[in-house]
Amino acid sequence: MNFRKLGIIIQREYLNKVKKKSFLLITFGVPILIAAMYAVMILIMLRSGGDNKRIAVIDNSGIVMEKLEDTKQLTFTQLSETDPEAVKNRLSEFDADILLYISPLDSAAKSVTATTYADKPMGVETAEVIEHRINDAVEDYRIASYGIEGLDQILSDIHSDVRLTSYTVDEEGKETISQSEVYMIISMALAMMLYMFIALFSGMVMSSVIEEKSSRVVEVLVSSVKSTELMFGKILGVALVALTQFLLWIVLSGVIIGIIGGVIGMDKLTGGVDQSQIAQIQEMSMTAGPSIDLEALTDTTAVSEAPTGMQAVLGTLSSLNFTQIIVSFLLFFIFGYLLYASLFAAIGSAVENEADTQQLQLPVTIPLLIGFFVAFYAFRSPESSLVWWFSMIPFTSPIVMLARIPFGVPTWEIALSVGLLVLTFLAVAWASAKIYKVGILMYGKKSTFKDLWKWLKQS
Amino acid sequence: MALIEVKHVTKHFGQKVALDDVSIDIPEGKIFGLLGPNGAGKSTLIRIINRITMATAGEVWFNGRPITDEDVAHIGYLPEERGLYRKMKVGDQAMYLAQLRGMSAREAAYELKQWFVRFGIEDWWNKKVEELSKGMAQKVQFITTVVHKPSLMILDEPFSGFDPVNADLIRKEILRLKEEGATIILSTHNMESVEELCDEIALINQAKLVITGGTDDIRHRFGEDNVEIEYTEDFVRKTEVVSQDKASARLTQLIEGGIRINAYRELVPRMNDIFIKLVTEGEGK
Repeated sequence: MNFRKLGIIIQREYLNKVKKKSFLLITFGVPILIAAMYAVMILIMLRSGGDNKRIAVIDNSGIVMEKLEDTKQLTFTQLSETDPEAVKNRLSEFDADILLYISPLDSAAKSVTATTYADKPMGVETAEVIEHRINDAVEDYRIASYGIEGLDQILSDIHSDVRLTSYTVDEEGKETISQSEVYMIISMALAMMLYMFIALFSGMVMSSVIEEKSSRVVEVLVSSVKSTELMFGKILGVALVALTQFLLWIVLSGVIIGIIGGVIGMDKLTGGVDQSQIAQIQEMSMTAGPSIDLEALTDTTAVSEAPTGMQAVLGTLSSLNFTQIIVSFLLFFIFGYLLYASLFAAIGSAVENEADTQQLQLPVTIPLLIGFFVAFYAFRSPESSLVWWFSMIPFTSPIVMLARIPFGVPTWEIALSVGLLVLTFLAVAWASAKIYKVGILMYGKKSTFKDLWKWLKQS
Repeated sequence: MALIEVKHVTKHFGQKVALDDVSIDIPEGKIFGLLGPNGAGKSTLIRIINRITMATAGEVWFNGRPITDEDVAHIGYLPEERGLYRKMKVGDQAMYLAQLRGMSAREAAYELKQWFVRFGIEDWWNKKVEELSKGMAQKVQFITTVVHKPSLMILDEPFSGFDPVNADLIRKEILRLKEEGATIILSTHNMESVEELCDEIALINQAKLVITGGTDDIRHRFGEDNVEIEYTEDFVRKTEVVSQDKASARLTQLIEGGIRINAYRELVPRMNDIFIKLVTEGEGK
């Protein structure tokens, strides 16, 4: 290795990528996008009851209306009419957005039927609230129909409200509160980020190799530098691009969130102290994140000393070993990237244009995808042997291990996994360099894996 | 003295033999023509000389000792399959290639500017390569091949892609570089330029060396020893081809007959004919 030349190659690769418009777009676009999402979530959170729905009710059963209490978003008004046909096309005249029609009580089935009419489709939440209330009314009616004395009291006595509070106990017996949903989200986020970055930046290396080959500049280059210097210069140059991108993302996201915080008021962002704010955050989490099941956290009226939702989330976050997460993320990203970038460089050397990569790329992409899918299984059972093995096998380990890490992984396992990854990288890099050396000078026919194998043996 | 000595070089690609025991001496300060049909093994030999590929057997010597990676810095190589980064600026690109060839940034900038002026392309420095025509790009490539003042230049089809004016410019530059003491290996199918430029040649066909030696020697060797006599008889110009041994008798006869002799020249075969003859003979075997 001639390090002066390697440096020149890295420099060109780096500057060339960083000066590209697409780099600037991604670098500045992603934090702005994240900030925009954040801003929208805050806006939803701050917008309390701004969007009231007025509901006109025709209650022919006589049991439902008393259960329809107004909420922040919903106002119920009983109409004197009994026929929905007379109302449903003239909602605005009745100052209503929605007409709710309750049929007369069917005394045999001890039930009612309910129908709504509205100009615009109703939100899922509104529908849920209405349905819930009607069911309450019907249940109460049925209970009352048994005529058991004091049943109300009995029922409210037996109504249970137990919530699971989980603590993680470390070796020194120190207890930290843990919330499995938080682990799940972090596990998914880490695995997804690692998958995306490895695929994105390895792909960049491949394109760069193809560019040099298809523009025929490569033979000029390899007459001045060793093909291995060229290949590793490229891989390292793109690695620096990746690190620059991370750094800029972190800085920019911080700046943008800071600005938003300054505008809206920092207390509203963190808002941890005020109970109503907590409720709002939780409400927001429910509406904003369908995949995030925080229902268990929303009952802030729980009587026991169990920590409230927000405290649990914060507690869980503080229980995470961030040093371990960051160090592992960097190690697994760097070596996972190096491993895949070497493979993609070898594939790039075998083709003359991007369109021809499909066939050769597939077998290399499959392990990456397997890692991705196993990672999504990892948060369900981080201790399973399937997940354990895939977090050790080098081609899937970067993604799967990162998915495991929030749930706690012994250091020796991480070290073993990184060690295996590094060894595999060295072996793959050695083989890729040989394929690359021959491949970059091959023009004409489409290459297959048989050709790649031949080149590996011949050089 | 030979700058490059190719000693019994053999190259196998799997089962295929690309070069079979080829030995060539390339003298210092000369232009050496490397000839052969497509796929004969020329490019492989060139890649072995500048260490892009390694020989299966045999050695290449540079300046009287086996060639090393460091010696490659003294070689300027213009491959047949040549190109530039399309999206890069011409100046940046030339700087990049010059630095990879071992020049410092300052030295590269200075030398490149001079070359750009000499070729009348100083306005292109900040243009992107994709804005250049093929001929323009070729000029840039030629400059980046020679900017580091290599003692050996390997030019593979240097004239392809040039119009006659620019081809002539390159021809003159090659001769100028030779005068400055550089050794040049010229691989080309353009036999006229071989006759004009090359001091020595080697012809490779089907992986084997067919012939090597001085260009003039070879042309004479393949001549059939004929001379051409041109004379004017009854106000009509006539030419006549006779073999060398009968030439003096015929000349005397003409002169004694009072006929004016316009020209008497030795007939040497064209390089083109020798090439075709040797290559088709090889195929016949």
